[in-house]
Amino acid sequence: MDTAFTLNEGVEEGLKKILSSLLEKGKIQAAMVLDHTEGGGAAYSLITDPQMMAQTRPLLPLMPANAALALSRLTLKEPLSGPVAAVVRPCELRAFVELVKRGQGSLDHFIFISPVCGGVYPLQETLVKGGIEKKLPEYREAMRQGEIAVDIREACRTCEHFVPTGADMIVAAMGQDDPETHGTVFMQTDRAAELIQDLGEVMIAEKQTEGPLETDLIRKHQGLRRDQKKKLAQEMQLDQSGLDGLIEIFGRCIGCHGCRAVCPICYCELCVFESRDFEPKPVDFERDLSRKGRLRVPPDTLLYHLGRLNHMALSCVGCGSCTDVCPVDIPVSSIFIQVGESLQELFDYLPGRDPEEEVPFTKYETEEFAEFED
Amino acid sequence: MKGAQIPAPKGIADGILSFLKKGLQEGIFDALLLPVKVPAGDSFSYVLMRETDLMDQASPLPPVMPVQGAKALSNLTRYGNGAEKIAVPMRPCEIRAAVELHKLEQVNLENVFLIGLDCPGVLPLKEYLKNPKKGDALYRKALQEWALESPRWVCEICDPVSPEAADLHIGIMGAPRGKLFLIPNTPKGKKLLKRLDLKAESSLASRQTEIKKLAQKRTKNKERALRALRQEVRGPERLLEIFANCINCHNCMRVCPVCYCRQCYFDSEALKMTPDNYLMRAQRKGGLRLMPDTLLFQLGRMSHMSLSCVSCGMCEDACPMDIPVSRIFTLVARDAQIVFGYLAGRSLQEPLPQVIYREEELKEVETPYQETYRPS
Amino acid sequence: MKSFQPKIVYFLCTWCGTGGCETAASYRMSYPENVLISRVNCTGSLSAVHILRPLIEGADGVVISGCHPGDCHFETGNYRARRRIAVVKSLLETLGLGPERVWFRYVAHGEGRRFVDTAAEFNDHIKKLGPNPLKMRRNT
Repeated sequence: MDTAFTLNEGVEEGLKKILSSLLEKGKIQAAMVLDHTEGGGAAYSLITDPQMMAQTRPLLPLMPANAALALSRLTLKEPLSGPVAAVVRPCELRAFVELVKRGQGSLDHFIFISPVCGGVYPLQETLVKGGIEKKLPEYREAMRQGEIAVDIREACRTCEHFVPTGADMIVAAMGQDDPETHGTVFMQTDRAAELIQDLGEVMIAEKQTEGPLETDLIRKHQGLRRDQKKKLAQEMQLDQSGLDGLIEIFGRCIGCHGCRAVCPICYCELCVFESRDFEPKPVDFERDLSRKGRLRVPPDTLLYHLGRLNHMALSCVGCGSCTDVCPVDIPVSSIFIQVGESLQELFDYLPGRDPEEEVPFTKYETEEFAEFED
Repeated sequence: MKGAQIPAPKGIADGILSFLKKGLQEGIFDALLLPVKVPAGDSFSYVLMRETDLMDQASPLPPVMPVQGAKALSNLTRYGNGAEKIAVPMRPCEIRAAVELHKLEQVNLENVFLIGLDCPGVLPLKEYLKNPKKGDALYRKALQEWALESPRWVCEICDPVSPEAADLHIGIMGAPRGKLFLIPNTPKGKKLLKRLDLKAESSLASRQTEIKKLAQKRTKNKERALRALRQEVRGPERLLEIFANCINCHNCMRVCPVCYCRQCYFDSEALKMTPDNYLMRAQRKGGLRLMPDTLLFQLGRMSHMSLSCVSCGMCEDACPMDIPVSRIFTLVARDAQIVFGYLAGRSLQEPLPQVIYREEELKEVETPYQETYRPS
Repeated sequence: MKSFQPKIVYFLCTWCGTGGCETAASYRMSYPENVLISRVNCTGSLSAVHILRPLIEGADGVVISGCHPGDCHFETGNYRARRRIAVVKSLLETLGLGPERVWFRYVAHGEGRRFVDTAAEFNDHIKKLGPNPLKMRRNT
């Protein structure tokens, strides 16, 4: 039962008008959307002034920072006291749900608006002359055709979860007629339907359609993404890496921990790998030096990555922010996503799918996983 | 001032490595801390070594500086010195950072031989990573000719004189062909020369002329560059444009040798507010950038560390958004250090400005009062 | 037409600064009501963020008053403050963010007149300078 409204305009413009009207009418206190910045890029902004919606870029294919970080920061201390709309990508919403499960935020009073996601460009794309603007025509065409846009993040082109779960409204940026001229927005919850009432024929055409959201085009796109994922797995042959392979991949690592800092799941205020536990004393160095004869400084590079994998891979939503932030171009997400997905399969778990679904670490059965016992 | 000479028939890097090897083999050093090429051959990392077997992979002057030497040294000696005597060859900016970290009690120099090196500059990390082989070849040539075409911005304005804190300085500039100078700066350094059976008998006049010339060039570069930069960053409009792309990843803070706080204030509980606080701020301005406090982080970090900023450029190398962090921080740091007549990294004896005070000073900071004021 | 009412944050140390304020109160002197007092334990407990944050989040000016040199309740707090404020003002100067919007003036326990004069003088000073251009930027 897919209730949808067709807008008089393209998805992005229509969305902006909806949010602007909701702000004007006081139906929401604020809207968190991607806003343009002076540098030619974008950054999330908590907009309260309806006039400012006009210059925002809610569906710009860019993720300067996973929105889950901002959503968590907003509701870390307390839940929201009034309705706030947030336009976030499917993986950002899933990441926030994972954080909520860990007590790092609250879903109360949020109205999540999420697009069927065609992926985002790597951050470095904004630094090239012309930046993202240059890429938009081919991006939009790809969305129309259900094709994978060239040059999007590797994490995106191999992502199968591009149809949002858990959102109040889904913006059908792909799969319905022409998203550029007549956008369609699907209402997934009563709250969403309630909000959209009496928003005026100004932005909503007479047509109230009944879905479906998942059209043939979406299924085609799913197939394409699956193929890309398979291709990547074959290219990387991660299970053949061994220690030597991992040393080659992570050899350049300078221990800046940028990957941890931008990861939405890594919420620890003081990461164990940055705590005293991992600050070796001279006696520790001497012991390691006696054993190995040589020691990389700072030490524990591989341990940090393997450790972080162990700590967060079950909840990895595959956003790809880690790869973008790495100063030495290590394809962190390529490894983390694959390991994450195989772990998630083990527990039949999909991060962020359902806020009531507990993180596998927090529960157990008395009889299970006999195959891991020796 | 005189120095000793050591042979370098096969080139600078080889000469330096041979000297270090000798020191290790003769037990003068127990261990070396040097950049070594990583197994994949596409970068360098500091390695602490007791044996000489890794030395054919080592490079005392690699084309890039992925990790600041002083930060590596701080990692090793933050909790005091070990029994091992470690020799650490480092570039001038790394030695300057080690000096500052020593004052901040994050580096213990007791069992460390700081060995200064002349440095022709370093390639921008992102450039090098695009084609490491090409970068290696370029830098090999640069070492031979002692001229690097497009080093990082901070390298073009860097004071070529290595701080007196280095126990020994390996002088490349002005040395006769096939040789390197070994200049003792401290009593530790002088003792070291003696143990190596080397005498500081060669004149350093030719070196001093060359250094002076380079120093003048670099100073002129600095003045020119800072003058231009000053106009580019003035005012909220321009400043926010420069930091518009900042994603708040804090890479710059984490790679900075001077930023040693285990938990940065700007990552701490102190800046985590209730939703009403963020909404209120958003309401006042019509909108609030998220993650919040981006500009506060940049300005705040400047206030916290600019007095010890040594312009090593790690921040800019680590920034994923190509923000000219090291340029702005250099500008701000220079102005702040001038207020106290302080130069970060110049001397181990010069106390940190924030640690001392004088009873009468900085009159210009105070706004004078005249009892004749009447409100308008 | 409404004239510009500056938002001013006035940091006073608990000892001399607040003392000056209370002395003024006991003489029934008054200061502009848009000047918001914020009491800190000692000017030496102020960090750069105390000055930067108000200027980014809505203040038009920041004043700091504490004990005169040599009179600090904690002996050296005001010396530290002077150096710290020097760094922040240098930073604001270099980046053109309005160092003139930050004042540092000593106020002793009994200097009630000096306190109200400072508040009023700074208020006029900021009125002349106009609203702080930094505080309206969303993109901070």
